[in-house]
Parts: sequence; structure tokens; C-alpha cells
Amino acid sequence: MIEFFYFHLMPWPDLPDEFDRRHPSSWVTLSNRIYDPDRGHALYNEYLDEMELAEQLGFDGLGVNEHHQNAYGTMPSPNLMAAALVRRTTRAKIAILGNALPLRDHPLRVAEEVAMLDVMSGGRIISGFVRGIGCEYLSLGINPTDSRERFYEAHDLILRAWTEEGPFCFEGAHYRVRYANIWPRPLQKPHPPVWLPSQGSTETIQWAAQRRYPFVSVFTSAAQTKRLVDEYKAAAEVAGYVAPPAQIGCALPIYVAENDRRARTEARPHIEWLFHRGLKIPAHFLLPPGYITEASLRKFIGTGLKHPSELTFEELEAGGYIVVGSPRTVSDRLSEIRSNLGFGIFIVAGRIGDMPREKALKSMELFAREVIPRVRNRAT
Amino acid sequence: MAYRSEFVSVGGTRTHLIRGGRGKPLLVLHPEFGAGRWFPYHDSLAARFHVVAPDHPGFGRSSRSEWLRDIDDIVFHYVELLDELKLERVLVAGTSVGGWIAAELAIARPDRVERLVLTGAAGIKIDGVERFDLFLHPIEETLLHLFHDPARIGALLPASPTQETIVQAYREAGSLARLAWNPYLYNPKLDFRLRRIRAPTLVVWGENDRFLPVDYAHAFVARIPGATLQLIRDCGHLVPFEKSSEFAQRVSEFLENEAS
Repeated sequence: MIEFFYFHLMPWPDLPDEFDRRHPSSWVTLSNRIYDPDRGHALYNEYLDEMELAEQLGFDGLGVNEHHQNAYGTMPSPNLMAAALVRRTTRAKIAILGNALPLRDHPLRVAEEVAMLDVMSGGRIISGFVRGIGCEYLSLGINPTDSRERFYEAHDLILRAWTEEGPFCFEGAHYRVRYANIWPRPLQKPHPPVWLPSQGSTETIQWAAQRRYPFVSVFTSAAQTKRLVDEYKAAAEVAGYVAPPAQIGCALPIYVAENDRRARTEARPHIEWLFHRGLKIPAHFLLPPGYITEASLRKFIGTGLKHPSELTFEELEAGGYIVVGSPRTVSDRLSEIRSNLGFGIFIVAGRIGDMPREKALKSMELFAREVIPRVRNRAT
Repeated sequence: MAYRSEFVSVGGTRTHLIRGGRGKPLLVLHPEFGAGRWFPYHDSLAARFHVVAPDHPGFGRSSRSEWLRDIDDIVFHYVELLDELKLERVLVAGTSVGGWIAAELAIARPDRVERLVLTGAAGIKIDGVERFDLFLHPIEETLLHLFHDPARIGALLPASPTQETIVQAYREAGSLARLAWNPYLYNPKLDFRLRRIRAPTLVVWGENDRFLPVDYAHAFVARIPGATLQLIRDCGHLVPFEKSSEFAQRVSEFLENEAS
């Protein structure tokens, strides 16, 4: 079985003309002077409408995520967007991909909010946990050298808050609460599913596999995704089980049009926006001190991989960072990825960069009507 | 001047230090860059003092330590190092983050610090005076801000970065971030505590410091009882690297004043 999710970044599309020349990044230092709240009002509502439509078109779930102080994604609180969706949808799962735990000052706020959403939605919430990207440690003043420790510790506290009867005492290195006792408790038992969206450090992958948390690769190349999923499967085996498809996910920007040529022509400027502008992030923003381990840094340098923001549209397509084409081409490609990875979760990033609404809607409809059934039929 | 490199275990933390020269012991605490190396300014100081130049934990060849959380940890680390080296009372000279550590050490253990030299010292924050954020910039750009004469940055840049120099720079940045990410390069409590410094203190500053502007020099002098100020002309933040002989001469004069 495959579950299809429609995922939104809610980008801020209106970058100034001189952006490419003058701004080192669309993160951290790009002034919010260019954010226009009136336009933002229209965009948020368009974006939410799209997600509601995705449910009607047959997507199994909707995905939101957390990013701070940038043009790439204007969703600093994924829980707020999940709340907006909870009341306007009835069937779709709502995947928060995810709450950036170390960036929060109090993990119980995450435990409470996700529990609220779970109760409100009748148990439709998937709770992804992430560390947040390097830039966000600059933007929010959180020490990146504490990132990993805060992530694990916040996770432990949240899981206990969801599953243990309170009050209980938790005294960690970063978070301390003597009377943890959240109201409401989550509806799903034992707790809302925890997913781990990641670009994959070894440590994180093993941690997820040990806990049987689904691993979702996000915007990685076909080769990287394969390597990460293999690592995850190997870690699962070490933990004594075989990772089922339901524990393996893949998130990619997708664009579907009537034929391949048209799809490429129509998608190109927006794919370029996403990778060359939205993801324009210098290395010292991406990897602030201590954000990754020395082992991961060595691996990163060793692969000599270019950052995807340095790749052309053709290279992105050839590398499998994106899937663009006719319904048949996209179905074939997804089926191929599926047989390579064995994923059971597929997450479509549909409104790419500064893509106008009409293109996004067309692509979403074609995907729902013509790609989902094809991939499903082949998958069975 | 002959010098030698050695390792000392400080509470289990392998600590690298370089020693050279004879005379009164002078603890030299390095800035954000250049750990683990003996520079011309060390050499000049070693002509008159017994220079002891350790690498901060997680810098140079000293091992990285999980216990390193904030500035106090490093201060106690150096008290312990002095114990290990059987140095009861020392002259202390620190630059930038090393100056911050030196000031904290002089406050925590006035009995161990005979005279104090703070050069371009971090550790305090003055409202309205901008400091350069080294975490926001690539290292090449940071180094340009540390010198008045950009030709001097070569001393601190590896000729051709290798995987190991990149990993080493990342490790040192991580150790610095432990101390200085937020609050950025200062201890909110230090400003008020500076008045407790008992050691005669010299504040040395590059007039053209674009990292911690010279307002900081005046602030340290105003807060430390009896402190004197030595401004260095045509010089940026890293005075010992940019004007090493002038630096060594001024510092030696000040330290010998007492030593003689």
C-alpha cells in the first residue's frame, strides 16, 4: 500500500528582481521588508484552499512543516496550519513534517498542541519531529551545539507526556518540569505516529530505525535517497526487524502536465526558484557550528556533492531531485523509485516556488486523477 | 627562542600547551583563531617571560570536552591547569575570547593572577555598539574584519584547505559556539563583576578594530579599577598578530613594571 500526501511549503514567491545579484540567501538576512501582509493574506488562503482541494481529489494526507524567517516557506508554526486544516477537512491525515523540537523553549507546548490537534481531528495527526535547518539556529538564537541533545531530550519528554499518566517529573539537561501532566492527552493510541523527515545523518537514521519511526527523505537525489533508505533498512535489521514500506517515505517536488515537454517548460522557472532562490543558503548558514557531527561533516565533504542550489534544472531532473513529466512519465518514475526503495509513503511538493495557482492546480489534479491510480495499481 | 609542545591531563581533558622562555610565568590565552601554534608574539614575550600558551578545550590540539558549556567551565579548567603545572601565581594575557577568559579568571581567582593584560577582549556588551558576528559570515570574511591590513590574514588561513583543516575549523567553531553563541561573545554578569578585578590591568586595543570597536576598550578601562589603556595605531582586532613587536614591547613593559 502507498499513501500519498500533498505537501506545502507556503513559499513567499515575490522576491525582488535584484535578489540573485544582491542577496546571499533567502534566509536569515533577507529583510522581511519585502513581506507584504496583504499579499500574505491572499496567499495563505490560496495555499490552504489547495490543501483542502487535495483531500477532495483523493490524497490520503496533507503535509505542513516548520520554517522560520525566510522566503522558502512562510510557515513558522505548522501546528497553526494543521489546526486550520483540521476543521476544514474530514478524512485526510494531517502530517506535521515536523515540529522543530530544539527550536522550542518548551517541548510540552509541542506535546500539548499535537495532542489538541489529535483530539480535535479525531486522530488524524501524524507528528513529525525535526531539528530545524541550520539557518534557524541563527534566526532564533538557539545554540546549534545543543541541537541534537535538545532534540532527543524534547522527544523523550513529549513521548512520556503522551503515554504516561501524569503528573510526572522530568529533569533533563535542557528541559525541566516537575509536574508534567498534559491536558488533553492524544486520541491515537499509544500516541500519534512519529515520523522523521530528514536529509539523513547516520545518527538520526539509526535512532529512527531503532524506534520504528518512519523515515522520510526530503528533497534528496535518487542516489542519496537510496543510500539513506538502505542505511535505515540496515539499522532496522540490526534492531531485529525488517523495515516495512509503511516506514519508508520520500518527499519530492513533482510537476505533471499534458506531456513531458510541456511539463518541463512549465515547471522549469519554479523549480529554479525553489532550488536557486528558496534554497540559496551558504554553507555557514546551513551548517552552523556543532549542528552536525564531525563524522557527518567528513562524510559530507567526502562525497564532494554539490549543494542542490548549485544544480541546473537538467541536473536536478537527471539526479532525481525532482520528477517532472506527463502522467505516464511521472507514474513510471515513481514506480521505479518505489521498486528501488520500497516506500509506502509518498509526499508530493506540488506548489513549487513561485508557481502560479493555475499550474499548481492542474498538476495536482493530473497527479490525483492519473498518477495515483497508476502507481497504486502497479504497486499491488 | 626555543619552545616545546606538551600535553597535560586536566581532570581527564587532554590539554595541549606550548612553553618557551624563562622568567616569570605568563599564561597566554589565544583568541578565536590560531590555537596550537607558536607565533612571533609568543617568541618576543618569551624573551622576558616563561610563556605558557595552552589551547582552549576543543581548540588546537586540546581535546573537545562535553563538559564545556559556558565560560565558567573554561575558567575552572584553567585554574586546574595552573594547579597541574604548579603555577601558584601567574601573569595573564588574553586576546579576544582569550581576554574574556583572562578577565573571568582574574575575578574568580584574584589570588592566582598577578597582572592582567586584556587585548581586544570579548566578554561584555555595550548597548548600541555593533560587534561583528563571526557566526554569520564565512571565515575569510571574518578574518578580513579582524585585521586592519588585509594582507595579514594569511598568517591565520591554511594555504589550501584539506578535509582535516575544515573539520578542525568546524570543531573550533563548535567549541567557540558553546561559549559564545548566545549571548554572543559575552557574559551578562561580567560587566558588573569587572570592578572586582584586583590585578593591575593593561587594556590593549587596535584603534581600527572592526570586530569589537574601541568603545569596548574604554568600557573595560572604566570598569576595572586602575586599569590603563594602550591604543595601537593602524591596527585591527588581533593586535598580537598584526603588530606583534609593538604588542610584545608594550605588554612586556607593563608586566615588568611589577616584575622588576
